[in-house]
Amino acid sequence: MHAADLLTAEPTAQAVAAATERLPEPSAAARDQLRRTLAASLRAPVAGQWPALLLEARAKADVRYVEPATSHRPLVGPVLVFAKRTFRGAFQPFINEVLRRQVHFNEAILDALTVVIENQREHARTQALWRRELDARLKQLEKDPPGPSSR
Amino acid sequence: MHIHQLVTRLAWGDAIGNQVRYLQSLLRSWGHTSEIYADSWDDACRDQVRPAKSYPREATRDSVLLVHHSFESRQVPLIARSRGRKLLVYHNITPARLFEGYDRGAALSCDTARVELLALRPHVDGAFAYSRFSAEELAAAGYPRVDVLPFAIDWNAFDTPPDPSLMAELDDGCSNILFVGRAVPSKYVDDVLRVFTAYQRLYQPKSRLLIAGNIHRDGPYGSFLHGLKDLLGPERIQFLGRVNAAQLSACFASATAYLSMSRHEGFGVPLLEAMYRDVPVVAYGAAAVPETMGGAGLTTFSREPMDVAQLLAVLERDSTLRQQVLAAQRARVAALSQQAVATQVRNTLLRWLGARDAGPAATPTPSEAPAIELVCPGFTSRPDAPMSRLARELHRRLPDSRILALRGRGEEPVLSLGPRTSEGASVWHFTPDQPVGPAPEPLPGSSSLETAVRASSGKVVLLGTDSGVSQALLGAVGRRGWGVRDAATVTDEAATEAARHHLGAQLLELDRSDLDAVANTLVQGLSSKRGARHARR
Repeated sequence: MHAADLLTAEPTAQAVAAATERLPEPSAAARDQLRRTLAASLRAPVAGQWPALLLEARAKADVRYVEPATSHRPLVGPVLVFAKRTFRGAFQPFINEVLRRQVHFNEAILDALTVVIENQREHARTQALWRRELDARLKQLEKDPPGPSSR
Repeated sequence: MHIHQLVTRLAWGDAIGNQVRYLQSLLRSWGHTSEIYADSWDDACRDQVRPAKSYPREATRDSVLLVHHSFESRQVPLIARSRGRKLLVYHNITPARLFEGYDRGAALSCDTARVELLALRPHVDGAFAYSRFSAEELAAAGYPRVDVLPFAIDWNAFDTPPDPSLMAELDDGCSNILFVGRAVPSKYVDDVLRVFTAYQRLYQPKSRLLIAGNIHRDGPYGSFLHGLKDLLGPERIQFLGRVNAAQLSACFASATAYLSMSRHEGFGVPLLEAMYRDVPVVAYGAAAVPETMGGAGLTTFSREPMDVAQLLAVLERDSTLRQQVLAAQRARVAALSQQAVATQVRNTLLRWLGARDAGPAATPTPSEAPAIELVCPGFTSRPDAPMSRLARELHRRLPDSRILALRGRGEEPVLSLGPRTSEGASVWHFTPDQPVGPAPEPLPGSSSLETAVRASSGKVVLLGTDSGVSQALLGAVGRRGWGVRDAATVTDEAATEAARHHLGAQLLELDRSDLDAVANTLVQGLSSKRGARHARR
């Protein structure tokens, strides 16, 4: 540990750094092994996007609003569209109020599903890391010369 | 006087809940009427709290409301329509990036909480923070009067006798390393595991790690920690979960050292609790940790597990050094004695409540800020880097710009953010959330710098899109944002992808041999009202 990496008044950073110098030096093999394990434990950064599986559900979660009204009918269509838009315009606050709890429920379900999916991913990632680490240890064991007990 | 408190959730046993209850007891002991209002609460707190929605009805012109803010609250409209004076008490908000990849909901809530921090500004008469680190962010957000309120700790609460059965279990000759806190990503409990693994393998095989605090086993971070425990393979790691006061006392009583690798603390009560209980503290110096430690204990800027393990080993083996550390910690705790801090809190509150315009004036607000924000986090710590040279050049050509940079490693946060003149440029400095590492390590984020940019309405140039600050701001700056990417230093492809996604044509590549070319394009683009396409014609 370097004194520059420490912030302490009493004892001083230099005194603490000097004390770390006096520690018994661990064996190079132990250090290398530890370094490998620590490197294997680092978690790759994860993209912050929503799981693709939930994108469609997420787009439909807010049920208070709908697509703007349209119609293909030549004469009745504009009247229908006008009526629908007027209805929406007039009653949207009430619609919001009626559907508020449904929206909250949808959001809560989506959050819960996200946790489940991310949890699964985490398990898979950990398993993969663990398998890789195990393989590395097995290879190391195979490389090492056999000890006296195996003769 | 009626001095009430508003909190989003009143929890039993967390730092904010304890602080709110203790403040209430202090206020009542000084003769004030004081109630706690909350949106939700733990069952154990049912008798101590009133529903927040009843506050606007019960408040009078003479009421004073202390608004505790640390997470998404959705209380801004309620605060706005309540009568009486309001003072913000800011506990700091965990940066959203620390939850990314683990907890999407928490990350979104943290971002929303920062939006609310800006929205609260016109509705409060002043703002307190529990550390200069947090106060700096309030100043950056444009709060006109900001002060640091001493964190009042009820030390008597730590005097519970230890649980005898747990004590007997832990007192078996092992060296016990302790961490106390919820197992959430921002606390970096995974780094605690890594440091402990290094300590056990290299220095003390007969050691044990105790993690006392709620752990959500089914959540992604809980799963990660349990998987990591298997992967690292050290022996005797105990996730104790939520513990009661007696069990916590047993943990501290049997601990050889307290270890924290947390990347964000608005204050950090467990650090002082460990000092009070005579356990030497080793802590990573992120956010307000160096301030809370106050030179006592061992604060490290290194997060390398093998380095930090050395500190644990030294504390165990070198009894003279250990005694020196403990003596310094006792002095630190003595300076925060219950009576002294209670008097300071009372004086500070009275000073604020005595006059409407009390409290120190902070630095000029972002509304007075220049039209162009040149965000160059490494301007001071890496002055010769191409981005710093580009920032100097741009500042020279754009007189209505200012440079926003990170403070150097070990520099203490101050409320006066700037300007400080450096090589002819006016530079505003902000404390990083984590210590600045050596180049080429990406520069860390800074909550206060990010808040200053969010509060500003000027155009923003992100010089170096891979820094923590730039990554946090990409989504917030929208069309007023420009970015410059240095391909020679970028190591994270995801960061580049995010920059491309948010900035589009306003992301420029840096040619190290020809800084003038990028400077010309930027000056043209920033002077143009129509943005990148127009600038390139």
